[in-house]
Amino acid sequence: MNNKFDALKDDDSGDHDQNEENSTQKDGEKEKNDRDKPQGSTKRKAVVPGPAEHPLQYNYTFWYSRRTPGRPTSSQSYEQNIKQIGTFASVEQFWRFYSHMVRPGDLTGHSDFHLFKEGIKPMWEDDANKNGGKWIIRLRKGLASRCWENLILAMLGEQFMVGEEICGAVVSVRFQEDIISIWNKTASDQATTARIRDTLRRVLNLPPNTIMEYKTHTDSIKAWEEFHGLVNSSGR
Amino acid sequence: MAVPGSCLPGQTPSRDIPAPSGAPRLPPGNYSSTPGGTVFGTTPGGTRIIYDRKFLMECRNSPVAKTPPCDLPDIPGVTSPNVEELKIENNHVHNYEEKVGAGEEAQFDMDI
Repeated sequence: MNNKFDALKDDDSGDHDQNEENSTQKDGEKEKNDRDKPQGSTKRKAVVPGPAEHPLQYNYTFWYSRRTPGRPTSSQSYEQNIKQIGTFASVEQFWRFYSHMVRPGDLTGHSDFHLFKEGIKPMWEDDANKNGGKWIIRLRKGLASRCWENLILAMLGEQFMVGEEICGAVVSVRFQEDIISIWNKTASDQATTARIRDTLRRVLNLPPNTIMEYKTHTDSIKAWEEFHGLVNSSGR
Repeated sequence: MAVPGSCLPGQTPSRDIPAPSGAPRLPPGNYSSTPGGTVFGTTPGGTRIIYDRKFLMECRNSPVAKTPPCDLPDIPGVTSPNVEELKIENNHVHNYEEKVGAGEEAQFDMDI
């Protein structure tokens, strides 16, 4: 099994928004009922920097997903597996989340953390992602926590200098290796993807021989469909 | 696509200034004044809020950054509202990584 991000393909395209809201609502129900849930609405309050906090260029949302053991991937929709952890607008708010989350190296099983700009779902089909792609770096075990931290700090601090192009970042904990990736909007924009690659090398302090692979989401979707036998092989 | 809370290029990157509440006010942030810290950089896409790694790490120590968010979901093995528990775990991981990443320790020393 290689880097399929298998769970990222959703079979039921078309009603993401609804599923998303429902599952999010369920997951956060306990807390939200106790707190400031607006009556009769699933919308949350807008997240803003607190007084004297350092605002970020964008708001971001942490997500967590884990493949349920013992069930084939194809029977699990993305929404069943993904949980929103929370959204932040300032550096301080970021640390409040990050400091109370385990580091990726301590996650067990087939798990991912996603950190995406607020409003962009960590899915290939999201409008912001559908023409995009990602840089993928495979890491030997033991490096994921450090590389993930450096990656997301660079993203939050706007170190990539590619305008609005960055969508989010993912760390995927797998059996024998871990994978980090950063997603951007326009896979065909080579100046942007080259700049992201160069920034990655700098901020992750990667050895020169580290292999970095760029994969378009279109290719990821095709690979996923073929892997799950959704495409008639004789037709190709 | 409009991202809530974002600053679009060409627009002034303004945000609502949070009104002082009853809570005690901290000193204003060290905008553009911390050595090696906050920079408001100008790029072709307009002015953007840029922070380097060192500055972000320093912010980790601010008191407001240490309390868990009130809406943090409790996901066993993933999130924990218990500060102390995770601190110990993080330190443990940190030490482990230092041993593994020989020669690279200095860059990843935490400022705690």
